[in-house]
This record gives sequence, structure tokens and C-alpha cells, in this order.
Amino acid sequence: MSNIPSDDVRAEVKKFWDFLSRKLKSQFAEMYVSSASVFAADARRMEPARLMLVRRERELLGPASFVATKLGSIDVQALGADLAIASYPFHLSITRTRANGKRYQSEVPHGRATQVFQRDEKGVLRIIHEHMSSAEPVSTKELPATDPPKRV
Amino acid sequence: MLSSSENMKKISSEDVSKEVHRFWAILSGNLADKLEEMYSPSAIVFTGKAKRSESAKLMAARRSRHRPGPGLSSRAEVGSIDVQIVGPDVAIAAYTYSFNTQKILGNGGKVQINTSFGRATQIFQRAEDGALRIVHEHLSAAAPPAMEKAGE
Repeated sequence: MSNIPSDDVRAEVKKFWDFLSRKLKSQFAEMYVSSASVFAADARRMEPARLMLVRRERELLGPASFVATKLGSIDVQALGADLAIASYPFHLSITRTRANGKRYQSEVPHGRATQVFQRDEKGVLRIIHEHMSSAEPVSTKELPATDPPKRV
Repeated sequence: MLSSSENMKKISSEDVSKEVHRFWAILSGNLADKLEEMYSPSAIVFTGKAKRSESAKLMAARRSRHRPGPGLSSRAEVGSIDVQIVGPDVAIAAYTYSFNTQKILGNGGKVQINTSFGRATQIFQRAEDGALRIVHEHLSAAAPPAMEKAGE
């Protein structure tokens, strides 16, 4: 069997960020297999994707939150017919709402992503492992309660 | 020399964990094996403060030059290693680590660099010669490394 085409993987990466920025919760959650593991950019430990999804839903997918991304060049390493690694830099601007209701705006100018995709039994590429990080400390500021989400 | 059936043996979590510990033993200067040989020739890595991914070959050569010399010490502690076997010849190792190393500055002073909240993803693939090699690596830290003056 031939390797996964690189363009298929790049299309999935673009879908991932599109779903996140358009707050399409169920489509975004569907990108991960239920057993996926994730290193979030600011987390000290790895966590199951299902926990990360609950947090991202609360912080990033609510009405007062905002996500914008610019992706760099996406490297794809195909490891067979069913498995591929995508790695790329990204610039992320986010406005997130914490559990206490406070809103924060963060800039991640030098984000780095590794996402491992595997085809499921229906042939759909889904994330089985993700590692996000920032090459530089992330700058975050608290927003006044009345500020609308920042558009960039 | 391994027989072809040994070459084709499936990856186990123990094999992967052993390779992870070998990686850190080399990096700490406790094992004289060559770091370059742990990577596939086409491996891609995200390390330290690098804003983009790079060829593992380049990075391994750089790390080898910076391995602790006489009078310098390095110590790595690896947390629990989560191994996902994702195919007959591919496995993902994800874990946290701390790494304390010493460096000599341009002015001759010695500094201690402590990375307390390191996070690692290393994807291993069994090569044709039967060896497990890293095809992708993403090392990051949840907090910037702390630097302090070390003894003369």
C-alpha cells in the first residue's frame, strides 16, 4: 500500500485550525481519536485529548473567545499507508475566557506543532498524538471586562 | 548480526523505553554511543528555542559538540514514559523530563542550566537493520530553563 499523500495531511491540519477558529466544537472534537494524548503549549504534563477538549471548549470556543492563526510551512513525514506526522510553526492570537470568567489575550508568535495522524477504520485521518509548544515565552494580558474579542 | 526474523520483530514498550533512557544517557555524557545513530537519516526535530523544525542530523552534530566535557556535569531525570504502539514498526514515546547541565561561557565562567519542566515526544520506527530509530522529535519546556552561576 502507498503512503498517505502529504497533501491529505496538510488539508487535515488546515481543517483543524479552521474548526478551532470558527468554533465548530463537534467537528473539532472529531479530529481526535478517543485515546489521543496531548501536550498543550502551556501544560507541564501530557493529558488525554478528552480533557484538553473540555478545557479548550470552555476557554476558546465560547462566545467571548477568539482564535486566529497563521500557519507556516507544514512538513509531512508519511510512515506508511495509515500513519503520518505533520510538523509546522504557527502564529497564534487568542482571547480566552477562564473558568472564573476573566478574559485574557495571548500572542504566540513562534508556536510549534507536531500532530500524528492515523487513518481510522472509515479511512478518516484523525489525531492520535499532539505536541504544541512555543519557542518563546507567551505574552498574556488580562482584558477589561467590557473589551470585545480582539480581531486581527 | 540479527536474522531477518529478529529484524522484523514487533516493537514493545520495553524496547522503546530502553531507547529513551539510552538517548538521555548519551546526552548526559554517561554513554559514549553516538547520538547521530539514534536518528533516522530523514528525521525532523523541534528542540529548545528553535522557531522551526530542523534536520536531526544537524541538531545531533550540534548536541554532540555541546556534550559535557571534563569538569562539567549533566543529569537527566525521565518521568513515566507513555508508549503508544501505532503500527508493527512505529511507536510514540511521550514523557516529561528534567535536565540539568553545565556550560562554560565565553568569559570562562561556568553556568548551570536547569530545565525543570521538559516535555518530550519521540517517534520511533524500526529500521531495516532492526534498530529502533527516532524519525521525529519534539522537545519543549513548560517553563523557561533557569540559569545560575556554577562553581569555578
